[in-house]
Amino acid sequence: MAAKKKRTPNVENDSWVVVAADSVIDTQKHDSDPAFVRLRNPSTDAASLYMLGSGDVQLYEVKAFEEGFHSWFVGQTVQRDGRLIFVTPMDPLYLILPYLIKSGKEGKFQPMDQVIMDEEFPACSRLLSCTRSLDSLHHVAEEKKVGSLKFHRYSQERTMNWLKKKVERTIIALKKRNISVGEGVKSTTYIRVKSEADNHEEDYLRYAHGLISEYISEDLSKALLSHLGLPELTSPKETEPPSKKRKLSDKPVEAEEDYTKFNSADFARKPPKKMTAAQKTLAKVDKTGMKPMSSFFSTKVKAEKK
Amino acid sequence: MNLNPFEADNSVSCQLTSEIPEVCRTEDCCLGIDEAGRGPVLGPMVYGICFCPVSKKENLKDLKVADSKTLTEAERENLFQKLDEAKSYVGWALQVLSPNTISTSMLQRTKYNLNALSHDTAIGLVQYALDSGVQLKEVYVDTVGPAEKYEEKLSKRFPGIEVTVRPKADSLFPVVSAASICAKVARDRVVKGWNFAEDLGEVDADYGSGYPNDPKTKAWLLKYLDPVFGYPQFVRFSWSTAQTLMDSKAVTVHWDDDEEDGEKAAQRQNNRSMLSYFGASAGGNDQNLTHQTHRFFTDRRLKSLNTL
Repeated sequence: MAAKKKRTPNVENDSWVVVAADSVIDTQKHDSDPAFVRLRNPSTDAASLYMLGSGDVQLYEVKAFEEGFHSWFVGQTVQRDGRLIFVTPMDPLYLILPYLIKSGKEGKFQPMDQVIMDEEFPACSRLLSCTRSLDSLHHVAEEKKVGSLKFHRYSQERTMNWLKKKVERTIIALKKRNISVGEGVKSTTYIRVKSEADNHEEDYLRYAHGLISEYISEDLSKALLSHLGLPELTSPKETEPPSKKRKLSDKPVEAEEDYTKFNSADFARKPPKKMTAAQKTLAKVDKTGMKPMSSFFSTKVKAEKK
Repeated sequence: MNLNPFEADNSVSCQLTSEIPEVCRTEDCCLGIDEAGRGPVLGPMVYGICFCPVSKKENLKDLKVADSKTLTEAERENLFQKLDEAKSYVGWALQVLSPNTISTSMLQRTKYNLNALSHDTAIGLVQYALDSGVQLKEVYVDTVGPAEKYEEKLSKRFPGIEVTVRPKADSLFPVVSAASICAKVARDRVVKGWNFAEDLGEVDADYGSGYPNDPKTKAWLLKYLDPVFGYPQFVRFSWSTAQTLMDSKAVTVHWDDDEEDGEKAAQRQNNRSMLSYFGASAGGNDQNLTHQTHRFFTDRRLKSLNTL
């Protein structure tokens, strides 16, 4: 018996293949490393992985491209985890909003460092260090200044307008990238000769809304939908064309023509046969130069059916 | 016989040729085709042609090149020497098909089986002779697949040449025996001096005959089977012996384009059953379903993570 092959044990993965924006690794200004953080996902209300750049200056979302059965060859080693991780810039306002909305229920103006508090995710306070955060709060909240201090209160009206702008910008990007947004299933590699009559404006609106909804709560998503003037889709019926109804008549239903007239005598419907495993294997093989089995037998002459 | 061109890169197929004797360009010639190393799971398959003027057929017979199969390696080397000495009227050419070429041909998506590969190689060599100005009138070949069909195919391909395809042609026609000697000598030398591209240290040379049913060969295969990367390129991956061993001893692999039963594939991908789209839904608007990721992400297989 041959000796058992020695295999390196599966260790916990400590390296990943990541595609990230350049700014992630720009540590010159702040002399600290970028870091993955767990923060509250506004859409699911559960933990999701994000990244804060050096000095907490920029927020990034983290997405993994994952298909089954992938591994990476990195130099001379094999990395079992075959995912490709994308780190892309993200607007921190999306993650700040849920806290604003929560504190907004009290109706009071509050300082942001009191608003952004989360026992489960203490790192959320770092969001305020992002360059964009404090400067863009007015898009989603009313501001009041008392001396040198600023206070904020959530504003649904401003937020809706802000989200609408986000949707519009998304639509521009979708169109620019030729992304298919229609309801029908279309292959991404299918090239249409006719120009796009198929991607209606409403399709773009819904798609963009759906995409933005990945970053906001369900309540906000619903509110945005109506703010955009789109009715909710509750059942598939609403997108179907009106059914064509035939004129009703009291006459008994009869066939319009003899549908059997094309049948020929030897047209017999047989259920499609499933190929056996052996047949499947044979079908895959290149049979050039091989004699078919039937050449070893002679066929009987079939009796003509009339 | 200079094998350097092949040894420079033994992962591809390589043509090796002798000088064309001048008489072959002026007189009517006969040509024999034979191969060596078709059956083994290790090393290259070599196709050889040998040609000489029809008038010199008897001279070739006198060299006693017949019955190469019963000869030892040393005897074959000897005979090749003699052929080499007869270079004033004997020419030869070889196509060395590396084990890698064989594996990739037989395993490529549009399957290219060994018979087809063999036919094309033989045709290529004959064409080489014609292109070099050899006045070919007769070609003799050992059978690969059905004899009549092969003869028909070659006759069509080379009109004006009398093609004879026979089983055991190497014992019937001296040109074929000569071709056989060239092919076998080349194969033996290549196998002996095989340069392993893989980092294997001192490779155990005790692999027996190289035939798949030889227990020594099987043991050698097992010894050099890597659970992830399979075998060294010396091995023909397309051979069923090699594959069976990989199936049982190497890491399980799922190949996406293997035809899978629809049900199994759906199960594997955790697809929703078609039936779940019919029938009364449990309650209103999918309230019991967890958050549905937007198809922009699902279409592109992108997911959020909550941990690395």
